[in-house]
Amino acid sequence: MKALITGAANGLGRAMTDQLLDAGHEVWAVDRDTDALDALAIKSRGSCRVILADLANPNSIQRLMRDVKDVKFDLVVLNAGISATGRFEEIPGAAYQKLIAINLTAPLVLASGLMHQDNMAPKSQMVFISSLSHAVGYPGASVYAATKDALAIYAKSVRKPFKKRGVGVTAVFPGPIRTEHAERYSPKDAKANKRMLPEDMAKLILKAASKGKKELYAGKGAGAAKFFGKLAPNMMSKMMRKVIFDKLDSNTY
Amino acid sequence: MARRILKSRNILITGATDGLGFELAKAYASRGHRVVATGRQLLTNDLDFFGSPNIAYIRADQSEPEAAARAIAQAMEKFEWESIDLAILNAATGWTGHPAEETPEEIQRQITINLTAPVLIAKAIAPLLFAAQGQLTMIGSTAVKGQAQFATYAATKAGLDGFVRSLREEWRNKAHVQIIHPGPTRTKMHAKAGLKTGMVRMFFMPTKRAVKAIQRSIRNRDNKRILSRTYGWSSVFSSAKEGEL
Ligand SMILES: NC(=O)c1ccc[n+]([C@@H]2O[C@H](COP(=O)([O-])OP(=O)(O)OC[C@H]3O[C@@H](n4cnc5c(N)ncnc54)[C@H](OP(=O)(O)O)[C@@H]3O)[C@@H](O)[C@H]2O)c1
Repeated sequence: MKALITGAANGLGRAMTDQLLDAGHEVWAVDRDTDALDALAIKSRGSCRVILADLANPNSIQRLMRDVKDVKFDLVVLNAGISATGRFEEIPGAAYQKLIAINLTAPLVLASGLMHQDNMAPKSQMVFISSLSHAVGYPGASVYAATKDALAIYAKSVRKPFKKRGVGVTAVFPGPIRTEHAERYSPKDAKANKRMLPEDMAKLILKAASKGKKELYAGKGAGAAKFFGKLAPNMMSKMMRKVIFDKLDSNTY
Repeated sequence: MARRILKSRNILITGATDGLGFELAKAYASRGHRVVATGRQLLTNDLDFFGSPNIAYIRADQSEPEAAARAIAQAMEKFEWESIDLAILNAATGWTGHPAEETPEEIQRQITINLTAPVLIAKAIAPLLFAAQGQLTMIGSTAVKGQAQFATYAATKAGLDGFVRSLREEWRNKAHVQIIHPGPTRTKMHAKAGLKTGMVRMFFMPTKRAVKAIQRSIRNRDNKRILSRTYGWSSVFSSAKEGEL
């Protein structure tokens, strides 16, 4: 099987990449972290092709699309994402532009481009990594939440038209994961053991993708969050404010 | 004739050169409110265009979101507005077709105008909104649930919805943040997006009625409002009382 994974060098993307490589698949690993990509290439002895790309940069995305022009992927995971947490009005506009470019524009351009360029093998699967914030809101990260809601709805919108061309779409709503990303953007006293290990999350996602599942809510408390988020959205965002926004003591972007 | 009102408010409306924004600007101005209207066009004569001395126009092309936000902040200074009572971020653009045919430029264009720009504008006017404990009203769309033929457009509107949901909680006691999702309305938007609506257009909500419904939802300070047909009809005779927006 051939897989393309963005944000493959660290965290969840890295865990998915490792698991696919271990299972003997070929992976095209996209990231901007040169050192981590090098390590991946060396470790995998050729079954991992690394692609250095800055997904905030449209030209870099175009180059990536040219690099994979003749490949037919069985699995694509649009995973790369960053965040910005703190008081909405205090974070610089440039940080929001970068956040939207990486979390939203890049996966949309890649999804549409890979379909257009006929890069998807018959019966392949495209996976969009949204966030559990889609169910509960995220005060203190309203623009991050915006990009993740947008991504979730894009996945929903394209599911039928992509299916007609033989490509399944999975939207994933992961709860907190124990990665560097989570450490960086969470309140200082947040407990790490409340977060799922990236390896466990990766396993769930790859399984959901191989089964062609439409949606996956995964992680500690994800089921409950989804349930109460639908039932009492205002209560959930109030609670999210208490557990996150009120505890953030600095802006991180 | 402008009716007498108790208090004239400061209202900012983006994308006010056409459709809902244009009608909203005129409706608020006719009640004596001060309106700053924005758009991407260069207008030679604001008074001729809007027909009201209460509406001042500034060019703020949202395809350059930083510049648009700056232009709006500078206009507020120029007009000596120390607060904004109501900001309706309404400007938007769409594209229709198969999602595999949407070009990178088209995807980028819609995200920039419909999502990045409102985010940066909201940030730029935050102090003025806080000064009046004002209201930030985002205009979304019922496409927010997902639309195969408008995939990126729907995504941008879902983005606004998520933004509002989180920011409302964050800004509690500082400013009210709401989102209103119109359904299909008889503006020129669809034609601009390359969609031929044909006979179906008959079933779209008339623009004037949608404007009434939006104004009602703004007055009621709803958190989130879907402009259903029923809500549209029941808004026809609803109007502001003295002193209300
Ligand atoms: N009509 C519908 O069926 C419908 C349904 C759901 C939601 N909505 C939403 O309602 C809002 C108003 O739409 P509408 O139907 O009134 O459409 P419209 O008639 O096309 O008006 C949109 C306004 O936004 C302006 N605009 C477009 N691009 C801009 C840019 N780059 N910078 C600044 N302004 C720009 C337009 O300027 P120009 O005059 O130069 O074009 C116009 O003034 C939008 O948010 C739309 O998404 C509409």
